[in-house]
Amino acid sequence: MKKVLNNIENIVDEMCKGIVAANPGLALDERYRIIKRKEILKDRVTLISGGGSGHEPAHAGFVGEGMLTAAVCGDIFASPSTMQIYNAIVQTQTDKGSLLIIKNYSGDCMNFDLAAEMAEDDDVLIDRVYVNDDIAVEDSLYTVGRRGVAGTVLVHKIAGAAAAEGRDLAEVKRLAEKTTKLVKSIGVALTSCTVPAKGSPTFVLADNEIEYGVGIHGEPGIERQKLRSSKELAVDMVDRLLPEAGLEKGNTCVVMVNGLGATPLSELYIQYNDVARILGQKGVEIYRAFVGNYMTSLDMSGFSITLMKLDDELKSLLDAPADTAGMKI
Amino acid sequence: MKVTITEVREVVNRLSGIIIENEIPFCELDSAAGDGDFGTSLAKGFRQVQKHINEIDSSSIQKFLRGCSMIIFEHCGGASGPIWGSAFSAAAASCKGKEDLSLADIALMFVEATSAIQKRGGAVLGDKTLLDALIPVATALTTAAEGGKPLKEALQDALWAAEAGAEATKKMVATKGRASYVGERSIDHPDAGAAAIAIIMKELLS
Repeated sequence: MKKVLNNIENIVDEMCKGIVAANPGLALDERYRIIKRKEILKDRVTLISGGGSGHEPAHAGFVGEGMLTAAVCGDIFASPSTMQIYNAIVQTQTDKGSLLIIKNYSGDCMNFDLAAEMAEDDDVLIDRVYVNDDIAVEDSLYTVGRRGVAGTVLVHKIAGAAAAEGRDLAEVKRLAEKTTKLVKSIGVALTSCTVPAKGSPTFVLADNEIEYGVGIHGEPGIERQKLRSSKELAVDMVDRLLPEAGLEKGNTCVVMVNGLGATPLSELYIQYNDVARILGQKGVEIYRAFVGNYMTSLDMSGFSITLMKLDDELKSLLDAPADTAGMKI
Repeated sequence: MKVTITEVREVVNRLSGIIIENEIPFCELDSAAGDGDFGTSLAKGFRQVQKHINEIDSSSIQKFLRGCSMIIFEHCGGASGPIWGSAFSAAAASCKGKEDLSLADIALMFVEATSAIQKRGGAVLGDKTLLDALIPVATALTTAAEGGKPLKEALQDALWAAEAGAEATKKMVATKGRASYVGERSIDHPDAGAAAIAIIMKELLS
């Protein structure tokens, strides 16, 4: 392992401090590793997300105007604890209530659920949505059902825009759930990530191999395949995504080509070029595109494609301003 | 023979020590079919329990166990926090108003803790989780209490039940928890949680 670090035990704490130091609109609760907006606007529903660290900019990079109110940071690839999440809920309370945006992993679900139940006991107005956009596998190393991956960022965006408009908790939840139902993703890995505490790659791929359908913690996907061209992969992945996303000729969508941490932007744009051409051939209009690192897996090389069908309501929320470290609109 | 708050504290202190000492062996148990961090996430929480044990409100067994659960909820990583924290929280609730615990009270404590884990994780007997060791323990203690056995014999029965339960998980296919992805590949390996329960019980009784 070759990484520029200080102390492996302090990775998450030092990273959190760095994120807040670089973004003047953010504040850090060091004890509970909560990154939140300095100013909690009292007339809005608050949005809280989080999960294991190692997926930066998710989730702390999406705290700010038009997206999240707070992100709770767990250890690398491990859910934050119940008390961390409970304290994030308490610290961001407003009269309009809170929505928790949870990626569907067993540890995250248990900790967020328990924290929400504790907050309910305190008569806090709270609700939850679970994101499970990864179409690769039904049950995985960490989940019952599908995994939550890059599509989660679009849930942050849509729900964040709805909250910024001053909509109530039921409306913000409806829009977040509408997004989770529509958003679909699939990824491939060229190399494994290396979890610093372990010090060696989680899995090993030969030079000519890819893990098709990989998860964002290095969990196995659908199968090992021979490395293929960007074009061939784009055809394969878009063909899998279209029926899942309910996209047909004449529909409009948003596309995200997301880097998994160590993929050059040039390769992401090459992939996007292929995805855009294929969608054009199928008669699916692209309304907006995101190309870059949104939901990473430490130093994994590879990418994911996310597609989501849009209607007028979602288009206007997608267009609303966002001012965060990880996304600006 | 009744168990007092002093003994409950001693047991929790010893339990924490066993979990900390077994951090690496528990990780190894988990790496066969899971993701290999079970020992670490568990030890992370119980290290804090041991460190702060003298600061936890010990004015009653209920308050003490409740205090332990809050530390576990705060510090145990991943899914271990909700699972072990819920178990301690339910165990605390079952001791409400009791100054000391009879065998029947201890049996009830295990029954309540076990059902809290089931509620939190959605697993049942045979899903290859720690419940496959814990449910037999709760049943053995309940049976021993109903049969009027002395505490020491009841605990021995509980240990055998835990060991048999953990052994039985070797033949099961994981459907819940982290080992569930590997499915068939988890056969022949015991569930790490169930095996850990048996190891903890054995060392606690020795």
